[in-house]
Amino acid sequence: MLKKLVKWARVKSPWVLHFNTGACNACDIEILAALTPRYDIERFGIQLKATPRHADVILCSGPVTKQIKDRLVRVYEQMPEPKFIVAVGTCACSGGVFKGCYSVEGGIDTVIPVSAYIPGCPASPEAIIDGVVKLLERIDKPEQFQKAQPILIGEGEPNE
Amino acid sequence: MNVQWTLLYMFVFPGFLFLIAYSMICEWVDRKLFARFQNRIGPPWFQPEADFIKLLSKEEIIPDAADKVMFRLLPIFAIAAVLTAFLYLPIWNTNAIYSFKGDLIVVFYLLTIPTLTFFLAGWNSTSLFSALGSVRNLTQLFSYEVPLLLSLLGPALLAGTWSISGISAFFLKRPELLVVNIIGFLVALVAVQGKLERVPFDIPDAETEIVAGSFTEFGGRLLGLFRLATDLEMVVVATLLSAVFLGGSFGLHPVLGFIIFVVKTLFIVCILTLFKTVMARVRMEQMMKFCWKYLAPIALIQLLINILVKAYFL
Repeated sequence: MLKKLVKWARVKSPWVLHFNTGACNACDIEILAALTPRYDIERFGIQLKATPRHADVILCSGPVTKQIKDRLVRVYEQMPEPKFIVAVGTCACSGGVFKGCYSVEGGIDTVIPVSAYIPGCPASPEAIIDGVVKLLERIDKPEQFQKAQPILIGEGEPNE
Repeated sequence: MNVQWTLLYMFVFPGFLFLIAYSMICEWVDRKLFARFQNRIGPPWFQPEADFIKLLSKEEIIPDAADKVMFRLLPIFAIAAVLTAFLYLPIWNTNAIYSFKGDLIVVFYLLTIPTLTFFLAGWNSTSLFSALGSVRNLTQLFSYEVPLLLSLLGPALLAGTWSISGISAFFLKRPELLVVNIIGFLVALVAVQGKLERVPFDIPDAETEIVAGSFTEFGGRLLGLFRLATDLEMVVVATLLSAVFLGGSFGLHPVLGFIIFVVKTLFIVCILTLFKTVMARVRMEQMMKFCWKYLAPIALIQLLINILVKAYFL
């Protein structure tokens, strides 16, 4: 009963932190667009928080560069459990066109565990909202999803 | 008054449980109205509850350098001070559950305790952002506190008593005198924005500048309790203003009086939301200048008017 209540609360009030791990800013602009009154994500209880201590979900955009890797891990560790990472944009999913670049580590999942992948270059606000809502559905009803399978939005899988 | 009634008053109605439920409703009204003003749909009615339960269920992280006992106790201090203040406010009739001569001053100072705990919380978290936020907290305290107290003085002077219940009872007898205090009411409304750290004066937790102010290092349960304290403070302040400036619940039948209480506090919350929607954040020195140069003198003019009214019409 209490577990159910906690899960309900968790699904109804995800607070997000926006973290740029080395994106070209296109995905960041789309994330900011998704947070505007036009898309009104407060309907789902989503609020943008400025500090990882308050957040439940990190929206990471961009490939993880070698320089930001330590900072990303640090931000991840500063978040209280339970926490979820959403990779926004193709680069965040897999490294994208920057894969193999001398300064780039790869996708977000090479550094920290990722809960949802939202491909797109850049991912549109609708796709970001859809991705986050699908993540929430998965937290709500985990039995409907197969284990260890990333949630895919749109056609095809992200590049491995 | 026997023990079980005292406990009932303190913990169920109008104390702890009722106040928490009502403050959540007020937060929802605030957020929903804010959303509607921006042409959005806004959060569903259970949003504050969901936020609160979620925060309670999260992991508690305390920085190594912080004083652990202090860090845990401060939110509880904030909530306790606000809840105590509420016991001295009249709700469904002109009499508060506990009232004595001079409870206006006691309530006023109980309401400064949350601000002090915010300061200590920021100071204790040993983070740069928190320290900045807490210093701003205190600076802001010095600018809004004086106009607020001066404006609360007006009705007290008119009624000739320092007790909130006494002021309510006085305006029940002479409701026409409520009109005299309209300037003081406006001053108090503006000063209260500073107390509640709402938008024109949300300098201490300006998220575009200093992350989350004093609460930067707070997460999970402790943050939830601090948010609850802020919500409770809003309700208590709205009740205080309605009792002092709007004549409380006019001493009507309990149920009707309670409805009037709800209507009046929600009215004040709506005004606060309107301020939040139409204003942008001011700078610290702008706020100091505004409060000392304009608000405090206006409150003094209100006092002068009240003295004249008292001399010639009473």
